[in-house]
Amino acid sequence: MREAAPYIEFIIGEEKRLANIVGKPEIEPLLRSALKLGLSRAALLDEEGLPLALVETDDCSCRTEPERKRLSILVEGEPQGTLLLEAKELTPAIEAVARLLQDALQLTVTNNLKRMLTTEVHTSVVKESYQQLVATNHRLMESERRYRELAAELEVKVEDRTVELRRAYNRMLQQEKLAAVGQLAAGMAHEINTPLGFIRSNLNSFKKYQGRMAEMLGLYRLLTSKGISPEIIRQQTETRWKELKMEFLLEDSGILLGQSIEGADRIANIVAELKGFACLDGMDEQPMKLNTELEQLLAVMASRFPPDTRVKTELQDIPAFVCRVPLMIQAFANILDNALKSRSEGLELSVATALDKGQIVVTITDNGCGIKEENLPRIFEPFFTTREVGSGTGMGLTVAREAINAAGGSIEASSTHGNGTIFTVKLPIKPLGESWKTKETA
Amino acid sequence: MIEFDEKNKKMVLKMVYYGPALSGKTTNLLSLHDKLLQDGRGELMMLDTAEDRTIYFDLLPFFFQAPSGLKIKLKVYTVPGQVRHDATRKAVLQRADAVVFVADSRISQQAINAESFANLEENLALVGLSIDKLPLVVQFNKRDLPDLVSEDELRSIWNSAGLPVVMASALLGWGVVETFETALEALFYAVDKKMGLTDRYQVDKENFIASIIRF
Repeated sequence: MREAAPYIEFIIGEEKRLANIVGKPEIEPLLRSALKLGLSRAALLDEEGLPLALVETDDCSCRTEPERKRLSILVEGEPQGTLLLEAKELTPAIEAVARLLQDALQLTVTNNLKRMLTTEVHTSVVKESYQQLVATNHRLMESERRYRELAAELEVKVEDRTVELRRAYNRMLQQEKLAAVGQLAAGMAHEINTPLGFIRSNLNSFKKYQGRMAEMLGLYRLLTSKGISPEIIRQQTETRWKELKMEFLLEDSGILLGQSIEGADRIANIVAELKGFACLDGMDEQPMKLNTELEQLLAVMASRFPPDTRVKTELQDIPAFVCRVPLMIQAFANILDNALKSRSEGLELSVATALDKGQIVVTITDNGCGIKEENLPRIFEPFFTTREVGSGTGMGLTVAREAINAAGGSIEASSTHGNGTIFTVKLPIKPLGESWKTKETA
Repeated sequence: MIEFDEKNKKMVLKMVYYGPALSGKTTNLLSLHDKLLQDGRGELMMLDTAEDRTIYFDLLPFFFQAPSGLKIKLKVYTVPGQVRHDATRKAVLQRADAVVFVADSRISQQAINAESFANLEENLALVGLSIDKLPLVVQFNKRDLPDLVSEDELRSIWNSAGLPVVMASALLGWGVVETFETALEALFYAVDKKMGLTDRYQVDKENFIASIIRF
């Protein structure tokens, strides 16, 4: 707190010597005028009696001892200087000149002193203000430097966090993909279970049939080996044939086995589909038959449709779309999934494909709850969800958009709250080999 | 202490009239100048003013010579009271030996008094002086005006802080000499304690005060 003290160099009140206050050039002219008025000698002496200024007449006709007069000059009320005057005779006129000279000198001394004091205060104040400015400036520079450092650190931190976030985001995407695979797998398991169920039931029935067939064949073999007349054999076996309902048995066996083969084929189909999902990344681009894939997707997802769902498809003839097929399938699966969850029953789902201005346009429309206007711009944002915590990751539509954008396409949603939603996906028609990877860097 | 020249037996002391703007510091010095005989004092030097407000300082010097030959010169200063002249106040306060705080007695001015007193404390610390050790007298000026804080109240507050309080009207000329005398006495004790005025230089307190305050 005492930092201000060194800035003040002048101590206000410090004693001053006369020589510091007035100088010879100031005083001499005054003294000279006195000579012209009849004085023979005039001098201003300092505290020690030494002359600060001295003038005398040229003719030193000092035949007679001159008369002398000493007058005080005050500094701050204290006699510090002496005005020494000599004349042949101290006439009243000379006395008056002496008084005038004293007043003039005194005025000069006092005014000079005032000016000095003023300058001193002024200098002190300016010096202190300057030092304060320098100190303030220094503090400001210091704080600026600190902020610069902070800013630089901040950049590094932001970069770190961005990388971290990017990683977390990618992890989420991957998890979402896996979750989608799981969901599809669950749907497929259901699809497999149905044929599996009737194949097993058919085989059970066939096992019983097989027992009766074996009995029938055994009877024939027994009767023919004993040498019994054919008539008796015919009668006995005919009775048994009817008892065992062999006619029906043989007919139904064919049906059972046919159905089972059909079921096995269905299972084989589903497994083939599942294989497509087995690896999502690192696969090559292939031509995708969009219409076929959409139909299969609807079939696979059918088990999850809410009650009383009506599905309308209007699939026009469109060229194959070259892309990483499993990713695109997943994108549509996510859009459809969104539609399935939009209504608890009586869903009307419409899937349409068409060609428009050299683009493939896929429109997926539902009559579900719709999307609130304020949420519409946000639905593709990562982690944005209106569903309850735990029931939606908020990544489904994000994943869909990623996949569609990566393939060079675009996705848009329009909706009226309470009145259903329309998703429009536009995909460019491009020949195989024009790699989408050039776009991935964007 | 501004200066002590042992060889030439000269001591220069400083007393500062401090206080808020327009509390009557210059009026105090003018009144002292009018009332006291010229023997023992110099002329009142008023540095440039702006619209009659002190912007630098006023100076009234007093002289005393002890039987031992020691010459004491006491320079009495005022400071500019306006807040903006704080640097000047600080400069004038350097090496002060005693302070007279001139406060305005009117009820409306008490917050401003307090602010100025806080400023005094702060500036004393900045120039390396301790308010606890420095002789300090408080004058409540303008007792001729209406709407004043009562004397009892002022005394009970300030005396409890251990500070001498003097009521005055510098404009009418009363209480001014009493304030100065109280401050001189406190100043004498402080310098005596530090420099041995009585023992070493045969300065008598009564004599010291009487030779400065001459009617």
